[in-house]
Amino acid sequence: MEQNRPISLLVCALGGEGGGMLTEWLVDIARHAGYAAQSTSIPGVAQRTGATTYYIEVFPVPLAQLAGRRPVFSLSPVPGALDAIVSSELLETARQIGNGMSAPLRTLVISSSARIFTTAERMQPGDGRADAQQLLDVVKAFSREHHVFDMNAMARETGTVVSAVMLGAIAGSGLFPFPREAYEHVVRGGDTRAPEKLGKMAAASLRGFAAGFEAVGTPRAQAAFVSSVLAADTRDAPPPPRALPDELARRFPPAVHGMLALGHARVLDYQDTAYAELYAGRLAKVLDAERAADPAGAQGFAITREAARWLALWMAFDDIVRVAALKGRASRAQRVRQEVRAADEDIVKVYDHFKPGAAEFAALLPPGLARRVTAWDRGRQARGLAPWALPLKVGSHSVAGMASLRLLSSLKWLRRRGHRFAEEQALIERWLTAVEAGTREAWALGHELALCGRLIKGYGSTNERGKHNLLHMIGELAGHATLAAPARAEAIAAAREAALADEGGKALDAALVRHGAAPRPVQAQPIRWMKRPPSTSARP
Amino acid sequence: MLRLGAGDTFHGEGILAITKGLLQSGVAYVGGYQGAPVSHLLDVMVQGKAYMDELGVHVEACSNEASAAAMLGASIHYPLRGAVTWKSIVGTNVAADALSNLSSPGVTGGVLVVVGEDYGEGASVIQERTHAYALKSSMCLLDPRPELGVMVRMVEEGFRLSETSNMPCLMELRIRTCHVRGSFECKDNIAPAVSTRALMSEPAGFDYMRLAHPPVTFRHEKLKGDERIPAARRYIMEHGLNELMPGGRHADLGIVVQGGLYNALIRSLQQQGLADAFGGTDIPILVLNVTYPLVPEQVADFCLGKRAVLVVEEGQPEYIEQDIATLLRRRDIQTPLHGKDMLPAAGEYGVEVLAGGLGAFAAKYIESSEASSSAKAWLAGNRERREAVARQLETLLPNRPPSFCIGCPERPVFSALKLAQQETGPVHIAADIGCHAFGTFEPFSMGHSILGYGMSLASRAGVAPMMNRRTLSIMGDGGFWHNGLLTGVQSALFNGDDAVLLIFKNGYTSATGTQDIISTPDDEMKERAVDKQQSLVDKNQTIEATLKGLGVQWMRTVTTYDVERMRKTLTEALTSDFNGLKVVIAEGECQLERQRRIKPWIAGLLQRGERVVRVKYGVDEDVCNGDHACIRLSGCPTLTLRDNPDPLKVDPVATVIDGCVGCGLCGENAHAATLCPSFYRAEVVQNPKWHERLLHALRGAMVRVLQPA
Repeated sequence: MEQNRPISLLVCALGGEGGGMLTEWLVDIARHAGYAAQSTSIPGVAQRTGATTYYIEVFPVPLAQLAGRRPVFSLSPVPGALDAIVSSELLETARQIGNGMSAPLRTLVISSSARIFTTAERMQPGDGRADAQQLLDVVKAFSREHHVFDMNAMARETGTVVSAVMLGAIAGSGLFPFPREAYEHVVRGGDTRAPEKLGKMAAASLRGFAAGFEAVGTPRAQAAFVSSVLAADTRDAPPPPRALPDELARRFPPAVHGMLALGHARVLDYQDTAYAELYAGRLAKVLDAERAADPAGAQGFAITREAARWLALWMAFDDIVRVAALKGRASRAQRVRQEVRAADEDIVKVYDHFKPGAAEFAALLPPGLARRVTAWDRGRQARGLAPWALPLKVGSHSVAGMASLRLLSSLKWLRRRGHRFAEEQALIERWLTAVEAGTREAWALGHELALCGRLIKGYGSTNERGKHNLLHMIGELAGHATLAAPARAEAIAAAREAALADEGGKALDAALVRHGAAPRPVQAQPIRWMKRPPSTSARP
Repeated sequence: MLRLGAGDTFHGEGILAITKGLLQSGVAYVGGYQGAPVSHLLDVMVQGKAYMDELGVHVEACSNEASAAAMLGASIHYPLRGAVTWKSIVGTNVAADALSNLSSPGVTGGVLVVVGEDYGEGASVIQERTHAYALKSSMCLLDPRPELGVMVRMVEEGFRLSETSNMPCLMELRIRTCHVRGSFECKDNIAPAVSTRALMSEPAGFDYMRLAHPPVTFRHEKLKGDERIPAARRYIMEHGLNELMPGGRHADLGIVVQGGLYNALIRSLQQQGLADAFGGTDIPILVLNVTYPLVPEQVADFCLGKRAVLVVEEGQPEYIEQDIATLLRRRDIQTPLHGKDMLPAAGEYGVEVLAGGLGAFAAKYIESSEASSSAKAWLAGNRERREAVARQLETLLPNRPPSFCIGCPERPVFSALKLAQQETGPVHIAADIGCHAFGTFEPFSMGHSILGYGMSLASRAGVAPMMNRRTLSIMGDGGFWHNGLLTGVQSALFNGDDAVLLIFKNGYTSATGTQDIISTPDDEMKERAVDKQQSLVDKNQTIEATLKGLGVQWMRTVTTYDVERMRKTLTEALTSDFNGLKVVIAEGECQLERQRRIKPWIAGLLQRGERVVRVKYGVDEDVCNGDHACIRLSGCPTLTLRDNPDPLKVDPVATVIDGCVGCGLCGENAHAATLCPSFYRAEVVQNPKWHERLLHALRGAMVRVLQPA
């Protein structure tokens, strides 16, 4: 460390994470250790969950040796002249590096690996999350030294807020010339008693501090922590592949087995053996088409593999029977207890929000009856009423609630006779026909069409929108006569991405038009219209 | 902290040091209107009411900046030192009328207006300079060097300067100056001679000269130029308010800088190798702790004989530079003058920006050195690195603007408004200042205009008559009391306008730090509430009573969390046959305030082993469809994403993370918008009673019989 310039530290945090507390601690620690220090911040309305920064400078020579002279500190961080950046969120770290803050020859970067997604990332219909690996690469490429670990998990585990962990990380890095005791003294609030005698808050802060200190101070501890977090988080790990029936294993190439096993099990669980056989039969036709287009399997049977995924999900379409089955499981009740962090002795009551409409009930009725229910509901809407729906709050912890869930989920047999079942099968066939035809024409075209299965998901209007988009793309693009197959494949890929970009479908229409296809027809939607008459006379 | 006396050292934030400075100056009354970055000044005084009473200092939380500025009228006749504070430029705009009327007769007791210069990084208002107000109304403008000792001294000197010159003084503090942590040596506080404890017995005699009324206003204008400004200049010189930092190697050059920018200037000189860590500089610097009026002799003396002078002045227009140019020209001083020709016209002057300007200045007048080339390399390095990172990231990083807090009562209203517009078609929305302005950000992106605090209803007056569909004005209760009641409601009623006003009644001016207003539920109410978790704003009916009193005929009050009812009410207001002013009051207490009350209460109950019900919402991962429509209707920070645990599915699922306060919006939206059925509401009963345990055990046994694995 140079002796003639202050040590500078930029802290990035989100509003409400205790960044103000952290800077107050640091300034106090410097004072107790006998060094000149200054901090600044720009909290403002960023306190309301926005991104904000704090800035600290410490002069590396003790005050006692300055002969009464006082350093002049900067109030704002100087890009490219920082000694360290400490950040509680990975994207914010990358943002500050993008602002030019970190100098690869000088700046130590300590960042949490945790992502707290921005609204813009969360609101996308598909996956709008920034690529964490890319953010991490930026941290690596533009720092002198970097430590990246999950500070937020560490704070959770030690029962404190992330600012305490950040302080520990700063201390552990040796950035400032203060001994560990100086930090701990201030975190304790000057209380010198043993940790178990401290107030709850101070004790938790001290634990968080120690964890952060070890993580940065001793790299081995950091590695151990990362692996322990990974090990603890088995809930998200994929379940071991289910056994694939031998008959299916023989019919399909090994590259498809993993996905096929999952898909087959899903469809079987959803309905019955016959339905699962239908699944395998449908997929076999896709495989035939792919074998024709790519006899050697040079592409690793990617079309069949993707079709195995999306076909299973489409065939196991969501309806009230399925939802009731999923919500009625004992494993689900256990999962809820975990998610709400209930202790063993706590009572947990779970209320499920349902709002089935006329369409959901009609789905289970035979076509004739279903048509009459739907017509009745349309009639209501034509009279200016809202579509009929039954808002329900079902207590699945109660006997009556659980009994009704079980009753509903036992209606599997009804599903097969219902009008929606028939409708979905017809649409599935249309999609598969397009996939097969596309594959036989050009492998890439078939592959893109198979991937379009991603557009089908969910319930109600989301599901309707997805189907509408998919059918329109098949109709307009898949068999577009004037475009060559590779151009069509490209167009379908672009349209698929666009369809997942916004719910209004503006991007999709633009993508369709760009590739020479018609935009989607406008859907009629009833609105209540209050037209103010233009003024005709003077006001009374 | 405010009680510290001689011999003590103060450690803390700049704005708190200023507050202490006021007490050390014997201030008699303090007022203001909250706003970052100066909210804290008034907050600590309001909280320290007992001590203020002890000193005899009156503290007033004013209804707006105009009311705060008018309060300063006390110092026209009486020897009372008064201070007020607000956020500038917006607050000064609101206060402008009273400030003009105060400045014209001038003051007897010292007056200090502490304004938060909300400019540059972290600012939340339009970017304009307060400087213009000092010029036009002839008020002194202090811009102290951001060192706590200097800042406090300038408070004390400011009162004396004001009294000597009869001019009110403004003190501008930038955001980082308000939040800088440092220390200074305290003095004892001074109890004012005339105070709430030592009352005046008689009013002043009649004196027409003290009125801002013709014909004396013509005399006042002459006095400003003939007596007041010269007196101020004398005081500034005699008491050395501006600081001259002598230069070393390059004493034939000079820099004139606003006091508030001194630290940034020193750091950029260091980067150019022209200063050391302790402020020792190669180029002499004139630090203007008073940026208006300038003292012509002082500036002329500084410039005389120099090869060139650089003026470092933030924002536009460059009033100081123009002032200096004029005075040099009049004195026929030929020193070349630089400023905005080398520094950018707009934006905050951070170290990097200043170093760029200094680089240009040095290139012209100083031989290049090792230090100057390393500075060049540093600046070029920054540029290159920014480009390199942008290239590596490929796409722009998403912004992270502030948003509604977890469980905020205002978020559900925007959900309802989004749904209502699906029925009525899109409407023109006149937005306003306050937390509800976060509705302009994703996922709602609503609002066509913001014309000022409390101005939404007034700002639709020209749009509504020209529009086929009704327009909607959004206003917070803060904005309503700040001026929306008069500029908006009264005007709409008087003109018989067909208008829709949506008032967010959360009980506080929340965006500025949840200060109390007249419609805040009172402390006694909070004390008496059995269930501390409930919203209490409905207990205060001042807004409703006021509107009724004014003659509003169509008024509906809706609990904000009831999305379905809110949607219906908004649709009704936008389509109803009633042609006058329609007011929808969205009632729900600020969640920040509720949590401040709830947290200690719950902690207390748990500690005593009493029954507590905690509510949290959740999403069933296997039912969630990965479309995120729920997020597009909410944006709550705790409703976020995680990887899909289903290996067949690729899109991330929604999830509710820790921190959910169980406000209920997820469930309301699921019903109102017919979202997917993945949401559940969990009620966790801690310390349940024995009969509850028994019932639960029996029920659990029966449920388990029904449940498959």
